[in-house]
Amino acid sequence: MSGDDYLWDGTGAPDPEVRELEERLRPLRRVPPPPDWSKGGTRPPRLRLAALAAAAVLALALGASLLRRPEARGGWDLRWLEGASWSESRVVREDTLAVGQWIETRAARARLSVGPRDDEIGEVQLEPKTRIGLVDPGQKRHRLSLSRGVMHATIWAPPGNFVVDTPSAVAVDMGCRYTLEVDEHGAGLLRVEAGWVGFEHRGLQSLVPAGALCATRRGVGPGTPSFETASPAFGAALEAIDFGPAGAARREALERVLAEARERDALSLWHLLTRVEGDDRARVFDRLQALVPPPAGVTRDGILRGERAMRERWWDALGLGSSEFWRMWTGAWSDTTPGPADAR
Amino acid sequence: MGLGYTPAMDQLLSLVPGATPSLPAELVRAARAGDRAAYGRLYERFAPMVHGVLLARVPRADVDDLVQDVFLQAMRRLGSLRDPEAFGGWLAAIARNRARDHWRRGAETAPLPADVTGPPHPEGDALAVLALVQRLPEAYRETLVLRLVEGMTGPEIAERTGLKPGSVRVNLHRGLQLLRDALAGNERP
Repeated sequence: MSGDDYLWDGTGAPDPEVRELEERLRPLRRVPPPPDWSKGGTRPPRLRLAALAAAAVLALALGASLLRRPEARGGWDLRWLEGASWSESRVVREDTLAVGQWIETRAARARLSVGPRDDEIGEVQLEPKTRIGLVDPGQKRHRLSLSRGVMHATIWAPPGNFVVDTPSAVAVDMGCRYTLEVDEHGAGLLRVEAGWVGFEHRGLQSLVPAGALCATRRGVGPGTPSFETASPAFGAALEAIDFGPAGAARREALERVLAEARERDALSLWHLLTRVEGDDRARVFDRLQALVPPPAGVTRDGILRGERAMRERWWDALGLGSSEFWRMWTGAWSDTTPGPADAR
Repeated sequence: MGLGYTPAMDQLLSLVPGATPSLPAELVRAARAGDRAAYGRLYERFAPMVHGVLLARVPRADVDDLVQDVFLQAMRRLGSLRDPEAFGGWLAAIARNRARDHWRRGAETAPLPADVTGPPHPEGDALAVLALVQRLPEAYRETLVLRLVEGMTGPEIAERTGLKPGSVRVNLHRGLQLLRDALAGNERP
C-alpha cells in the first residue's frame, strides 16, 4: 500500500517507478510568469496575431455560413465520445448543436457545452440512448429539452439561468451539479449532487437540495423530494402518496411516512404540507412539529389554512438554508410552462 | 442575459448553509471587486493546475502562452462564476476548452515526436514520456500530468480541478498502468 500512498499523496515509501517518472518529467514543470493584468483582456502577443488572423477568416466564413444556416447561430459545442466509461472515453467527433436541433446519442456518449462558445455557463454529459434538443441558446435563458435518457449537468452560472424541460416537469438549476433521467414513459428522476434544483409542473414545485432526489410522472408533475439516506420504506411510501391511487392505500402510505420520518426528513414533510389536505395535513403538521418545532408566530391554524408566509418561516427553521434564497429564483418559473419535451 | 455578478448575489448566496469560505473563494470575491493583487494570488495558486491541464493536451511550445490566455479569459468572465468555491473546476473547464480551440484553430507548432533523433534536447526525454502520456485517454493524461509533472498530490488535484477525489485516485492508478504498458512497448527493442 505504501506505493499507492506515494502515488496518491506523496506519503509512505516512495514507489521507485513513480519517482523515476517524476524525475524524467520534472523539466516540464515550469509555470510562466503572470501576464500584465492591467491589460485586461489583451492576449499575449503571439496569440494575438493568430487570433486576429483567425477572426478575419472566421468573419468571412461566418458571413457565408449564416446566410446558409441561420439556425446555427448561438449553437452549443457538442463532442461525441467513444469508450467503455466516461474516464476512458475519447472525443471522436466535434459538432455544434443548433437551436431547434435534436440529437440522440444511441451507443455513444456526448459532452455538450451549455452556452455559446466562450460564454459557457456549464457542461452537460449525455449518457447513451439519450435524446435531447436545444430550445434556447441563452438569449432569454439557457434551455434544453430532454425527452429520454440520462444527463449530468454541472452549472456555474447564477441560479435560474439553466432550464431543462422533460415530459413531466421542468428542472430549473439553482447553481449546482445534478443528474436527470427520463424513461420511455416520460417519467423522470432527479438526483442533486451539489447546490439546488427546482422541479416544477403547472404550479406544483419541489425544491431539491444536494443529497436529495425527486421523481416525476407525466400528467402529475414532481413528487415529494427526499434525501437519499431516507429508509427504503420511507421512499416507497412517498411514491405511493405522490403517484398512487387515492383512498386507503394513500392514507396507509402517509402513516408509514410519518412513522419513518427522521429530523432530516423534515424536507419531505414540509413539502407534504401543500400536497395533502384536511386531517392528513394536520397529521403532517403534528409530526413535523415534533421533529422541528415551528418558529414563533407559525401556528397550526395558519399552516392548516395554507398560509404561505408561515410555511416559508418554518422552512427557515429546517436548517436547509433561507427561503429567501429560492424565493428569489422561483420567479424564474413563471414563464417555464412545461413543454412536452418530446413533441416529435 | 442577466448572468453578471452583483454584490447582492454574494449576500444572497451567504444564506445557503455551507462551510466557511475557503481562501480561493475569498480571493475570487476580492478579484471580482477589482483587486488585481488577489487575482495574482489566484494565479500563483492555480497556474500549475492550468499548466498541467494544457500540457496534457497541446504541444509544449504553446503551453506558456495558453496559460496566460486562460487566466486573462477567466478574468474577463469572472462575473459569470456563481459560486466562488467552484473557481478551480470552472478554470479547469476554461483551460480544457482553450486547448480544444487551439486545435480547432490550427496549432502553430507540431508536437515533438517521441522517437525524435538528432542532438539531445534538454527536455528531450521528458517530451518523449509526455508524448506517451498525451496518447492516453483524456481523463488519465490530465491527472497523470498534474501528479507527475506538476508535483501535485491527489487531494490537491481534486481540490484545484473540482474533480471527485475518488475519480482522481482511479484515474491515477489506471493511468499509471496504461503509461507503464506504453513505456514497456516503447522501450522494447
